[in-house]
Amino acid sequence: MKEFKIHTKNLNLYYGNNRALKDVTIGIDENKITSLIGPSGCGKSTFLRTLNRLNDTIDNVRIEGEVMIDDINIYDKNVDVVALRKRVGMIFQKSNPFPKSVYENVAYGPRINGVKSKKELDEIVETSCKRAAIWDEVKDRMNDSAIGLSGGQQQRVCIARALAVDPDVLLMDEPASALDPISTAKIEELMFELKTDLTIVIVTHNMQQAARVSDKCAFFLMGEIVEYNSTKNMFTKPDKEETQNYVSGRFG
Amino acid sequence: MLHYLEEELEQLRKKIIKMGSLVEEQVEFSFRALFEGNLELAETVKSRDDEVDKYDIKIDKHCQRIFALTQPVANDLRLIMTALMINSDLERMGDIAVNISERAENLVDYSDLLKEMRVDEIAVKVQKLIKMSIDSFVNGDAELAKNLIKADAEVDKLDSVIFDLLAYKMKDNSELIVPGMHILTLVRNIERLADHATNIAEDVIFMIDAKIIKHSKDPENLEQKNNS
Repeated sequence: MKEFKIHTKNLNLYYGNNRALKDVTIGIDENKITSLIGPSGCGKSTFLRTLNRLNDTIDNVRIEGEVMIDDINIYDKNVDVVALRKRVGMIFQKSNPFPKSVYENVAYGPRINGVKSKKELDEIVETSCKRAAIWDEVKDRMNDSAIGLSGGQQQRVCIARALAVDPDVLLMDEPASALDPISTAKIEELMFELKTDLTIVIVTHNMQQAARVSDKCAFFLMGEIVEYNSTKNMFTKPDKEETQNYVSGRFG
Repeated sequence: MLHYLEEELEQLRKKIIKMGSLVEEQVEFSFRALFEGNLELAETVKSRDDEVDKYDIKIDKHCQRIFALTQPVANDLRLIMTALMINSDLERMGDIAVNISERAENLVDYSDLLKEMRVDEIAVKVQKLIKMSIDSFVNGDAELAKNLIKADAEVDKLDSVIFDLLAYKMKDNSELIVPGMHILTLVRNIERLADHATNIAEDVIFMIDAKIIKHSKDPENLEQKNNS
């Protein structure tokens, strides 16, 4: 049995000459929520984006080291990046629904993956919306534009869209930072439900959110992991003084 | 936010130190009332207990406010939890000082018996523990707190010696049964003061080292227990 769902080894990332990630080695547990915290520019989002090769599209980026998902290095030449991103979904800070109907947003992934049957698509859309806890709010508005929904609803439609292709990892880059407390609570509850089937990695600037939702927590500083610990320890008795100073708001 | 939190924590620390000084003085006054037969001082202790109670509530409210407004974590969280626990022990110590002062009225004519029963000795030891407990909090000194926990054994030992002395004395002279019973209760109270001082020491160790050592039989081997 594999030890970790995701395992990076000596991962280095350079933007030109700037080394944004420095020898990042971390094992991320399956069916757990792992939060990445740290001040702006510390490399946490860059790290998150290495997990589904989103940095590949940026000019001048050079990556060294390994990112193993299910013991396969996703940077190997023969890895199909499209298939990888189907398995490793991503939710961004700003909800980004397509300017299409709610139904078309959620059906988009399965449709381009070859699902043609209306009945099958209907089922996927309904199941995905239910898993994303948005079904009750959109079931009578399936043909309305997703752009017309509230921010919190749009974000959950984006989660439903990610779930529709049945990923086993979900990356979330500050998914609730633009949402009100009620919508934030819905996203957090949803994360708890989803982790029974998925491995979730979340970047957040909200310390309370990291404390509430995650099982483990990695503190990044200047491209390095300063401390990787259980969330319980991270917020009650961190091992490193830098972590103590950061989580208590003394710097960053 | 940061400046605000630092300020709040500093104010809280000052309140605990003030409460500690007040209770330390209440205990000192209650012992002086007892050993010097100074009933006026006993009255002072009783009337000042309101002040201790008010401080207790003030500290509770302050902790509640910091929890609600700043969501403290790590060291800050432990400081506030410790402040709450120490506050509770200090308040109980204040109550015990009142009990000792009340007992002083019953024992006003028995200063020789108190000395013979070595109550003054246990009182001195306990006062030392109380001072150590407050100093360990003020200076964030976990070593001092650990020494206090070890020193509590001496109080327990003397408590047991006093019990035997009293039993022998009361068997020997039935006229001393009533004052003997008062002394027995008194010594129980004094011993409880030492227990509260020990609790404070345990809380200070939690605050500094993030280790929960209460209910542990052997303070020397606490780390193993906590790391498991």
